Amino acid sequence: MSQLLPVVVLAIFVATFGLLLMFLASLFGAKGKKSATKLSSYECGVEVAASPTTKIPIKFYLTAILFILFDIEIIFMYPWALAYGDFIEAGLGIYISGAMAVFLAIFIFGLFWEIKSRALEWE
Amino acid sequence: MMSLGPAMFYVFAAILVFFALSVIMSPNPVHSALYLVLTMISLAGVYFHLNAQFIAGVQLIVYAGAVMVLFVMVIMLFDIKQELRAFTKGLISGALKVASAAFVAGYLIGTFKDVSVGSQSASLAGNTDITKELALMLYSKYVLAFEVLGLLLLVVAVGAVAVSRVKGGTHAKH
Amino acid sequence: MGSDIFEVSVNFLKMIVIFLMMVQLVPLLVWVERRGSAFIQNRLGPNRVGPLGLMQLLADAVKFLTKEEFVPAKGYRFLFYTAPVIALIPAALAFGAIPLSAPIRVEAFEWLGRNWGPYTFAFQSYEIGIGIVFVLGASSLAAYALLLAGYGSNNKYSLFGALRASAQTISYELALGLSLVGVLLLFNSFQFSEIVAQQAGPMSFQFLGKQVTVPFLPNWGFFYQPLGAVLLFTAFFAESNRLPFDLPEAEGELVAGYHTEYGGFKMNMFYIGEYGHMMVASALMTTFYFGGYTIYPWLTQESVSSWFSQFTPTQASLLTALVLHLVFMAKVLLFLWIFVWVRWTLPRFRYDQLMDLGWKTMLPWALGNTIVTAIVILIMRTNWSGQ
Repeated sequence: MSQLLPVVVLAIFVATFGLLLMFLASLFGAKGKKSATKLSSYECGVEVAASPTTKIPIKFYLTAILFILFDIEIIFMYPWALAYGDFIEAGLGIYISGAMAVFLAIFIFGLFWEIKSRALEWE
Repeated sequence: MMSLGPAMFYVFAAILVFFALSVIMSPNPVHSALYLVLTMISLAGVYFHLNAQFIAGVQLIVYAGAVMVLFVMVIMLFDIKQELRAFTKGLISGALKVASAAFVAGYLIGTFKDVSVGSQSASLAGNTDITKELALMLYSKYVLAFEVLGLLLLVVAVGAVAVSRVKGGTHAKH
Repeated sequence: MGSDIFEVSVNFLKMIVIFLMMVQLVPLLVWVERRGSAFIQNRLGPNRVGPLGLMQLLADAVKFLTKEEFVPAKGYRFLFYTAPVIALIPAALAFGAIPLSAPIRVEAFEWLGRNWGPYTFAFQSYEIGIGIVFVLGASSLAAYALLLAGYGSNNKYSLFGALRASAQTISYELALGLSLVGVLLLFNSFQFSEIVAQQAGPMSFQFLGKQVTVPFLPNWGFFYQPLGAVLLFTAFFAESNRLPFDLPEAEGELVAGYHTEYGGFKMNMFYIGEYGHMMVASALMTTFYFGGYTIYPWLTQESVSSWFSQFTPTQASLLTALVLHLVFMAKVLLFLWIFVWVRWTLPRFRYDQLMDLGWKTMLPWALGNTIVTAIVILIMRTNWSGQ
């Protein structure tokens, strides 16, 4: 038995639903004349000033990279939290807390280092 | 209906191979990156059918939801026309392509030689139990690796911040 | 999806009905939003079309349907059309994994000369063993709809809107993921049905290894995780790009953000995605912190099913599930109303304030919440007397 089959079926159904809506909209939609002005990029009626692919502050990339790192650390807490009750019941509560405490100490050090080094400042 | 699980595995594996091929065959880097997202998602499906459900979820969250967001963001925002030409033409990139193809082929042959087909059968225990078993292994047998991984991530974070500070190239001070 | 044709078709139907229910809630929410904003700002809001202006929704749909379709000349046609479709999928997939009511038990019966059943149908599109992780993973895919919309339009406002939106979404995903660790520590399960079941009875917890029961309070997660609940709800606001976190579409700076170039039904599909995320958020808040589909001591599964004791077991189970579903939806609508309320109460953040709140305030607080929860649980659940 696959638990994933309904997920795939639902995803396909939702995609079909969306495509159907867009198809209906194109079927019933007004058929206006297309002109160069209508099809130009919308910039509040002003002439298009610059290409969209300009230089972007490196802050965005840095934020994304730091997010990935912290995200991985958080993911590692999930199985820990899941098994925490079982570990306590087995009398290993202190051990499992200690193991995570070391990990969390590194995490907290990293977070406060990022804040201290002004890597997360947006001005 | 009971054989649906293995069938789904092969379906996902086929989709995975198709998308992975599309990643390297597509001439447009944005399309390549988007195909890679689909590859990651179908890989999550494959993990799911190998009974590694937590890993499948992590694959979705970390690779499809985090790493690929960064990739897609970067590729979309760079004007990559020049880089594209630099990558697709030239002697060095050609040599690199041949070398990596040879490497992958060797790796595949090596894998097939060692694998004995059809001997393993995964036990169909409850999913939460599998994740708990994973936790049991991770925080007892592999606890040292787990702690070192925390350190590794810290080092990577420091490195990323340091690299972003480098003033040079197009970001040199005027 | 099932062992025979009956089970398969019921499962398929319920999947579609739940999805359509989610889509149908959107125009209703838009109406609530417009009437609610008018109420808060001392205006009238839409009140001309039909009773209370409710027919406005239908008029809107017709208007959306008759809008002209076109792709901007500089846009990328395929990606431009893919983005709104992708905006629908993550919210729909995440919502499908959340139980909306108690499961329905159908006793064995005879029909068309065959014996069928017995069956148990969960009141959700599908049951996934790794529930919470699956919902997180599915909703983390929502960033692609924004990125594709921004890139497909090839408009600098769209692209910057998409960039801001994705940076904001991922920043708050950290606080979101971390405040969920508290929930996991408390319930020790990924499965939503398990989490709801643990909150069903009266408040009961272990105090230094001994069981303590508080009979007049429900055993809701909110009483154990108040800070986690607040952090999670705030992170959901940022995830669904709602005010006060709606910088991706800050009109003064970015026209309309990533959907600047979209109109008609394509625009509407982004709305369905946004409201879908709000629904997922409200359903998760209800499930994690407010007892899911039960309210102890009045509306529990036992007390509701005792109302229907004169019916056959199948009918009683069906009616119980429907009543509990109404209870669940009432709680969800309460949270959705808070979404609307906050939108018209708080002003928008500046971008640096937004990032500071996510990284420097919510992340440390969520960390603190996790640590305190872990320590308290360790002290309370450990058997100190040593057998």
